[in-house]
This record gives sequence, structure tokens and C-alpha cells, in this order.
Amino acid sequence: MSRLVGMIVVLAALLAGLVALGAGFYLAAGGLEVVFQRFLGAPPSFGAAVANVVTLMLVLLMLLASLTTVAERKWSAMMQNRIGANRIRVFGSALGGIPFLAADALKMLTKERTEPSGRTRILFELAPALAFAPVFALFAIVPVGPGIPLRTIVEGAAGLSTSVALQVAQPDVGLLYVFAIASLQVYGTALAGWASNNKLALLGGVRASSQMISYEVSLGLSLVGTMIAYRTLRLEEMVAAQGAPVLGPIPALGLLLQPLGFLIFFASAFAETKRAPFDLPEGESEIVGYFLEYSGMKFGLMFLAEFVEIVVLSAIVTAVFLGGWHPIVVNTEWLRRQVSPFWFASIGVAAFLVKTIVLMWLQLTIRWLLPRFRFDQIQKLCWKILLPAALANVFVTAAAMLIDPSMRLLAWIGAATIVLISVITAAAGRAPSGEPGAAHAVAGH
Amino acid sequence: MPYQLPNRPADLRESMYFPEIIRGIGALTKHFLRNLFFSRDRNPDILERRRGEFGVADNVTLQYPEERQPYPPGYRGLHRLVPREDGKPRCVACYMCATICPAQCIYIEAGEYADDPIEKYPVKFVIDELRCIVCGFCVEACPKDAIRMDTGEHAPPSYQRAAQVWDEKRLLRGPSVSYQYDPWLRRGSPSIPPAKLEEMRARAKPFPSAGTDEYAQTPGFSVRVLAQEAKERAERPR
Repeated sequence: MSRLVGMIVVLAALLAGLVALGAGFYLAAGGLEVVFQRFLGAPPSFGAAVANVVTLMLVLLMLLASLTTVAERKWSAMMQNRIGANRIRVFGSALGGIPFLAADALKMLTKERTEPSGRTRILFELAPALAFAPVFALFAIVPVGPGIPLRTIVEGAAGLSTSVALQVAQPDVGLLYVFAIASLQVYGTALAGWASNNKLALLGGVRASSQMISYEVSLGLSLVGTMIAYRTLRLEEMVAAQGAPVLGPIPALGLLLQPLGFLIFFASAFAETKRAPFDLPEGESEIVGYFLEYSGMKFGLMFLAEFVEIVVLSAIVTAVFLGGWHPIVVNTEWLRRQVSPFWFASIGVAAFLVKTIVLMWLQLTIRWLLPRFRFDQIQKLCWKILLPAALANVFVTAAAMLIDPSMRLLAWIGAATIVLISVITAAAGRAPSGEPGAAHAVAGH
Repeated sequence: MPYQLPNRPADLRESMYFPEIIRGIGALTKHFLRNLFFSRDRNPDILERRRGEFGVADNVTLQYPEERQPYPPGYRGLHRLVPREDGKPRCVACYMCATICPAQCIYIEAGEYADDPIEKYPVKFVIDELRCIVCGFCVEACPKDAIRMDTGEHAPPSYQRAAQVWDEKRLLRGPSVSYQYDPWLRRGSPSIPPAKLEEMRARAKPFPSAGTDEYAQTPGFSVRVLAQEAKERAERPR
């Protein structure tokens, strides 16, 4: 029971820490805005952009991604009734396996660099960066926190009428940026496979390109429904629109309006991350994969790219489907009246991060739940199931929005879909012949 | 195969993937939450550990070097030469064990006590533990109950092969044993002081008629005792 109490304390501390983290991010962004305007004479938005690049992308994203490597070990262990990495002890405590992060980094950096002699030198060196850079850049448009006026952060900055948002870039193209940059990832994997001068690596690269190009299609189509519903491409506007109530007090979450779109986007983006059950490009039991010839930190970069992609995918799903920074357990408008704008925004950041972490956990769960698909199954799932479903979703959404522009009809359709999926899931399946448990007992297991 | 696996085509719900995946996520979540919030039972008696109940984690891991499983009945550990009460080996260098050993891993050189013209003893008694196949024939062959495999030890790791060749100094260990008909007790031995001899006679036991006799095993040292404890524990009502 002491562990139960300890875990609740840790979770509460984590929540408080996330709120403090959000507050720190806002302080950094607001402070740099003031510094840039007063002392450098530059537009204040430059200051916020610089601060956000540092805090959001270099600190938050990299921290979450590297902690995911530890989390994958520990969480998978918990799912499989194991204990997981606990042999590095700091003052007698395993600290949840976090010291393994340092051990991994040390190992990656000090490993011997072996390179195949027949490689194409430039592309071979370039491929890890090409695999990593696009996923890293994707985080630029994720709205981590709401925009608040600068004067609520920095006292005496009343003259500055600018606002501060925890979002590196706010391009008008919004989601199109996601599609454009996400499709660049395929260069890294395909080039890594080709430049290695290795048949198995090439096979992995070819598998990666075919799989990723296929899933680009359903990835793009699955979000068209949300674009229609919220009438915008910009992620921050989508998040703001998700706070408005649509069915009584229920807010217009993307999950409610587009449950099918959510499932299709999640599956397609999961395939883009190239992790199990979609880890055919890696396929360590058949071909070692496109990074077969890479060693040391070059392999580490490819490895880390997958984990960064997990974080980015979770963040985008959070922004588009789960209401972003709206703390959906309490009413947003009620909370806005209760606390000052600064702390409201910080709580919003914490809500965003909690949702992101839950989605990361969900991805790791699915990764440890399912075995690898066969290649024809992957293509069948994409072209025969996800793509038609995404197309149907687009038509139904467009029709519903045409009939009822207030999104209420769409919300009802979405609610009906969720109920249908729940009923199908909860309905008892066909009874297995015999009792596997009893047979196990007889066999002595 | 112990049981038949049904080989049937997937029904509609299963071919829709998503409901089945959601059910699978539910199963994993159950394990995850139980292992996250509840601590595992750290009972040093690992057979008594609880798991699968509310309030206890589902973990099955045994943290090996710190936590060990008791050996099953019939486990044969490494050899030992059984000492007498005065610390000398019971072995009379009859070569029975070396003769029966199928791996030919026992090497014995016999010698005589200078002051005792009848008794022989092993000047050298060497077992190559790398060649030993742990069959236990030597224990069965011994007429003097002088070699036993009741230590419950694995072969310990070593960096040199030579370290696995054990001589009489290393093999002679564990609790001592004396039987009433032992010749050095019945007849006396010049190498044993009379007072010590009386003490040994008093503590000697009748020779066991069967290997399962209680005193043929060393209490607290024998794997059979552990096995008996495990058996009693299994029969005890929970």
C-alpha cells in the first residue's frame, strides 16, 4: 500500500511540476519578448519565437523523447508483469530506470564507429539527419499553450499589446505543413537503406518508402474531416474551437466530432512512426532494417527520431482531437474566471502535456500489444480499409456540415459512432472451443 | 500438443481490428495499473508469494542473485567429502567411486596413517568438476557414506579451468557424520585421542538401512530437508 500512496504523491508532484513547467515556459517567452523589444529593438514576436524554440523544441520535445526510451522499458515491463531496467542504482534507488538514460547516451556516444566500405559517403552521413530533422521540425506548429496578453506575464509591460503563445510558428497553412514535412521523413529512411550498400538495408528502405507513401494518403484524408468541421487549417484555431460546447455542456472535441477520423489518423500516423505493429522497415527478425549499417550515435539519431515522432504524433493528436490545452475535466470558461490568465495558461500547458503523455503511453501499449503485420496486410489495411473509411468520413462530415453548420448534427453522428464502437467492443465474441485456461492447467502451466 | 487450438477464420468483429485492439489495450492496461500502483510481494519464501490479487502487483520476476528459488527434491549439488568428527575424511580410499565414475573424473591416491596399520586414507582425492556429469553414481557406490552430493550448490564460475579441479582440501567440508560400526570407533585408532574417541562414540548413529533415513541426511544441509519443507508448505491449507 505504501507504493500506492507513493505513486499518488508522485503523480500529483508530476502534475504540479507540469504546471510549473508551463509557467516557466510562459515566463521565458514573455521575458524574451520584453528583452527583444526594449533592448534590441526587434519585433517582440522574435523573442517569443526564440524562447519557444529553446523551451518547447530543445527542452520539452527532447526531454519527452529521451524519457520515452526509458518509459518504453519500464512501461513494457509493467505490462508484461516484469520489473524492467533497475540495475543502475543511485543511492540505493533505481529511480524508475531514469539513470539508464545516461548509460544509453554514454554507450551511444562512445561506441566504435563502423562503416561499410561501399557506402555512398555523403548520403550515408546525411541520412540520419534527414530522418531526424523532419520529425523534429513538425513540433514547430504544435500549440502547447493558449495565447495570453504579455502584460499578464510581465508587470509594467502594459504598453506592449502583444500576446504570448507557446507555439513556435503559426503558419496559415497549419495542417498542410504537417503533411508536407511528415512526407519528407521518407528520404531519411530510403536514403539510409540505399546508401548503406547492403541488400537488407535496401530492402528495409524500400519497405519504409512503400509503407510511408501509402499511409500518407490516409493520413492526409483523415484530417480533412476536422478541417471541414472547424473551418480552419491552423492548429491553434482548431484548439480554440474545441472549447465551445456543442451538445449541452460537452465541448466540440475532435474525438466527438470525428471518432472515425481519429482512429484513421492514429493508425496512419502510427504507421508513419515505423514502430510495431508497423515495423516492417525495421523487421529485426527478418531484415535488420534500413539502419543496419549504422552504429553509435548515427544509429542513436535514427532511434531517437522514432521516439521524437511518438511525441510529435501524440502532440498533434492532442491538439486536433483531444482539445489541446483545454483541461476537459473542468469547464474552460469556469477555470478562466477562477484563476489569473497566467496560471490559467500554465494549467492549460499541463493539461496538454498530460494528454500527450497519455497518448504516448497508448502508443507504447499498442506497440507491445500487437505483433508485426505481414506486408500484404499492411497494404490491405491502408488501401482497402483506412482509405475508403477516410473518404467516407470526408463525405459524411461535409454533408453533415452542409445540413447543420452548427456542428450539432456532426456531434450526434460522432456520438453514435462512439456508441457503436463501444457496443461492438463490449459485445461478447464467439466462445472459444474448450477452455484454454483448463487446458493450460492440465498441461501443467 | 496438450490441447487443440481452434483454427477458424476471423469473424466480422475480429476482422474490423479496432474492437479487438481496444480489448487488448484494456487487458494490458489492467496489468500496467496493477504493477504501477501495487508493490510486488517481497516474501523471502518465494513459494508463498501472493500475486494476481487486488492490492498486490502481478509481477513474477525473481531478482536472482538476491532472491533464490529452493531446489526441487532430487536436486544433486556439487560433491563433498564427508568428514569424521575429528575432521579427517571418512573416505578409506577404496577406489569404488573412481571405478564406477562414467566420466572418469575422480582421481584418488591412497595412503596409510603411519601410526595405524589398518586404516587407509586418500592422500589425494581430486574431482574434475568440468568432467563430472553429476550422475551420482559415486554417492551410490561409496560403502562408507564418505562422498555425498547434498551441498545444493551449482558449479561456481571461475576464470581458469584449473580452478574447477577440486582437491581433497576443497572437497572436505560440511557437517561431520559417525556411525556406530565405523572401525575407528569400534577398535579405536591411535591417531584419535581417547577423550575424543569417547565423544565420537557417544554421538555415532546406527548405519542407515536406506538412503532416506532421517539421519542419513544432514539436517539443515540437505536438499531433501528443503524438499520436505516445500512439500509440507504445499499441503498446508492456505
